[in-house]
Amino acid sequence: MGRFIARRLLQAIPVFFGATFIVFTMVYAIPGDPIRALNGERPISASAQQALRDRYNLDDTLLVQYGKYVGGIFRGDFGETFRGRPVAEILKEKFPVTARLALGAFIFEVILGLIAGILAGLRRGSFLDNLVLVSTTVVVAIPVFVLGFVAQLVFGLQLRLLPIAGIQHGWVSYVLPSMVLGSLALVYIARLTRTSLVENLRSDYIRTAEAKGLSRPRVVGRHALRNSLIPVVTYMGVDFGTLMGGAIITEGIFNIPGIGREVFLAIQSQEGAVVVGVVTAGILIFILMNMIVDVLYAVLDPRIRLA
Amino acid sequence: MARRSQGPALLESQMPYSGHVLELRDVAVEFNADYGDVHAVNGVSYTLDRGESLGILGESGSGKTVSALAIMGLIQEPGRITSGEILYKGIDLLKLSARERRSVRGAEIAMVFQDALSALNPVFSVGDQIAEMFRVHRGMSRREAMSEAIKLMERVRIPSARERVHDYPHQFSGGMRQRVMIAMGIALEPDVLIADEPTTALDVTVQAQIMELLKEIQEETRMGLILVTHDLGVVAEVADRVCVMYAGRIVEKGDVTDIYGRPAHPYTERLMHSIPRVERKGERLDPIKGAPPSLLHIPSGCAFHPRCPRARFPVCSDEEPPLREVASERLSACHFAEELLAE
Amino acid sequence: MPDRVPTPGNQPADEEELRPEDAMERAASGGIQAESALATAAALEGGPSEYQASLWKDAWRQLRKKPLFLIASSLLIVFILMALFPGLFTDQDPRACDLANSAGKPQEGHWFGFDIQGCDYFTRVVYGTRVSLIIGLLVIGVDVVIAIILGSIAGYYGGFWDGFIARIADIWFALPTVLGGIVFLNALGERGLLQVSFVLIFLQWPTLTRLMRSSVLSGKEMDYVQAARALGASDWRIMRSHILPNGIAPVIVYGTIAVGIIISAEAALSFLGVGLQLPAISWGLMISAAQNRILIHPHLLLFPALFLSILVLSFIILGDALRDALDPRLR
Repeated sequence: MGRFIARRLLQAIPVFFGATFIVFTMVYAIPGDPIRALNGERPISASAQQALRDRYNLDDTLLVQYGKYVGGIFRGDFGETFRGRPVAEILKEKFPVTARLALGAFIFEVILGLIAGILAGLRRGSFLDNLVLVSTTVVVAIPVFVLGFVAQLVFGLQLRLLPIAGIQHGWVSYVLPSMVLGSLALVYIARLTRTSLVENLRSDYIRTAEAKGLSRPRVVGRHALRNSLIPVVTYMGVDFGTLMGGAIITEGIFNIPGIGREVFLAIQSQEGAVVVGVVTAGILIFILMNMIVDVLYAVLDPRIRLA
Repeated sequence: MARRSQGPALLESQMPYSGHVLELRDVAVEFNADYGDVHAVNGVSYTLDRGESLGILGESGSGKTVSALAIMGLIQEPGRITSGEILYKGIDLLKLSARERRSVRGAEIAMVFQDALSALNPVFSVGDQIAEMFRVHRGMSRREAMSEAIKLMERVRIPSARERVHDYPHQFSGGMRQRVMIAMGIALEPDVLIADEPTTALDVTVQAQIMELLKEIQEETRMGLILVTHDLGVVAEVADRVCVMYAGRIVEKGDVTDIYGRPAHPYTERLMHSIPRVERKGERLDPIKGAPPSLLHIPSGCAFHPRCPRARFPVCSDEEPPLREVASERLSACHFAEELLAE
Repeated sequence: MPDRVPTPGNQPADEEELRPEDAMERAASGGIQAESALATAAALEGGPSEYQASLWKDAWRQLRKKPLFLIASSLLIVFILMALFPGLFTDQDPRACDLANSAGKPQEGHWFGFDIQGCDYFTRVVYGTRVSLIIGLLVIGVDVVIAIILGSIAGYYGGFWDGFIARIADIWFALPTVLGGIVFLNALGERGLLQVSFVLIFLQWPTLTRLMRSSVLSGKEMDYVQAARALGASDWRIMRSHILPNGIAPVIVYGTIAVGIIISAEAALSFLGVGLQLPAISWGLMISAAQNRILIHPHLLLFPALFLSILVLSFIILGDALRDALDPRLR
């Protein structure tokens, strides 16, 4: 098991360098003018331009630039806002809010998704199953931002049930945005669980479990479920990336002062450095999350540990 | 294994039972699919006594596995047992509640499946899966159950049982996995063990070891063994009596040496003849012409008549031959069984 | 007639040439050799063998009967018509706007009302179809081609190429779509159709490639491929006639659903401001413009959102129907 973790760590290293290199080239090397990437369309004086060039090493050769860029990441330097505020500081400050939002979304999508998926899988072909299938298909088709607005309209304004902006109402403020953020993942989890469960219930080892005289709850709850949850867990790793993108949109719509909204505003105010810095940090976390999920996968499925 | 079985109160009162430990009377199983009704088992009857090995011989699609699943109560939608009785120590299992049925399953009548790799849960250790029998049926603690599991693994001759008890199924070889399945089967000292193609997925040498193990266990515990297989060799080695099945029906029943030596049904005869034999080297292989019938459309009259070299019309295509005694202790479902025997 | 049925790796030793009919007959007479015999016959026939061509024919037959498929494809045809010939649906000019009608409600002759500039909203929404469909189909079209090429190479030849392509795909997977889209598009100055498409192609290629690779890998192991190889078929022929027809199925299924995902992603990016820019007509842009006024003028949000959702939904339903039709286990 330890060897597996070590191997995964080793695999993560080229991925880290590769991904950051891609981001780096796409932002600084390929477009004609990297100053625009950092500064947008704002008018900028020659001396300010030169300051930017120095700050981000734009006059160095490509490889050296990249080297300094990665070096900066290791030092925790993710760039600065136009006014000189380090992005790392913004990250640290706004992180807790986004973390709460993400946690809320996670709890919502996992609990509801699993319940829906299990019930649908157990009662395949029933009304409930079809209901789950239809509603998930519809929700998937509706983009997150549309869902966000509709939720605001319906729950906030028409029904006046939940807060729709800001976080001044304490934890209740997070309810609606969390649900919107988690909606897409909810669909995938429900479907994955359902399909996985249906397939596993058909397998030979379930027949063996029944032949052993085990009760139905035990056969399903212990034997089938344990196998069925494996793909769901692996999905969570992938989902984390979508969650980050969704957070930007959700925080923007619901005016939640987290990292996502910082990016949202930075796009509008053309603070390129902030966008790049935050996204880079996001990618790093994503790589880390996937590694954790892989390890979790190996814990759940012993056959993987040898791979 | 010293522990005496503590069967459910229901059967407790029946101990000791003097009749057949298992008896099937005219059991029929049907599957109602969209495309039609599949008659997997059509009026099958046989008995099993303590210490006896019964071979159920047949090709794929003969209904042999389904009849075994019926005994275990594992027939599920869209299949159902449409008629007959399955008597375990005199009690009709089909009349028991689901809960009572479940307490019998595994503890009194156990089943061992083929292809242990897919029949064992890949995410639990083998020790865990064996121990589960004790924890669920006997209420043992985790530690006690595990130590019983180790003892069982030693019993079925898995080397280094103590160290390997926490290993997973995919870490064992095919033969070892099959032993694990057998261990799970005999864990609670059932009175009937059904082995469904226990050796089909294994190499020949391993096959022999597994069959020997089964025989040994049976001799020791005096349990009844039902061997469901298509392998003539396996049946010859282990079984005392044989039921030959075709298209969901039993076509011949009797002592194994008798049947192998002098078959009383054309199907059995053709089966024996199709085996390559050393003394007939150089001859062409002689398979049975045609293919087993689809259980959706079982031929009229005698199900074997389209492929039977001895078929005589119209009697073979119109009348279903009953399973009757054609010689002492030998039953055959053929209109012309006596003729066949006389040859 | 040869005595032994040729099995993979065992060339017919006898002088007589094996004809497809012989192999067929042997297959028909039952026995364990049946499968290889059938496979050999199929390999001898050459071309997309009977064996696989029927997968698509069967699938089409099944699909034709399913109501969901019919509904989804009808909707898609309507959308495609909207994109190609918007004039069929509306006779107005999307850019002919009169501020006097700013944010007017839905009314006679203007079913969707007016947007903030006073342009007929229905017309604008109809014109918006074009951009979404073009981006969706272009991105997935290119990605499918890339996937087929790279996935086949990686899956079929294995070894170094497989490792190389797999590693690169791994790196790409570390870039979540929306995040990557934001950072890349933000850096590009011009953000037209091509740029947005390019970035999305760039971000989505690994998923389809991986899918193609794994289906080529499993297709490679099939008996009929071994049989074809034993008969001397070239790599190219094997790929074209045997592996590709089946292997492509999961890619087509996922690709169809992915078109919906891409359309959704483009709308999200445009909504955020990193996608298409005005004066391009995109549903995402329309929704973005509407966001501050949804209380007073919900129709500004509603109509583009509706079209967007229905278009994406159609692709998803289509993909689902395709998957059910192509899955042999569900027959």
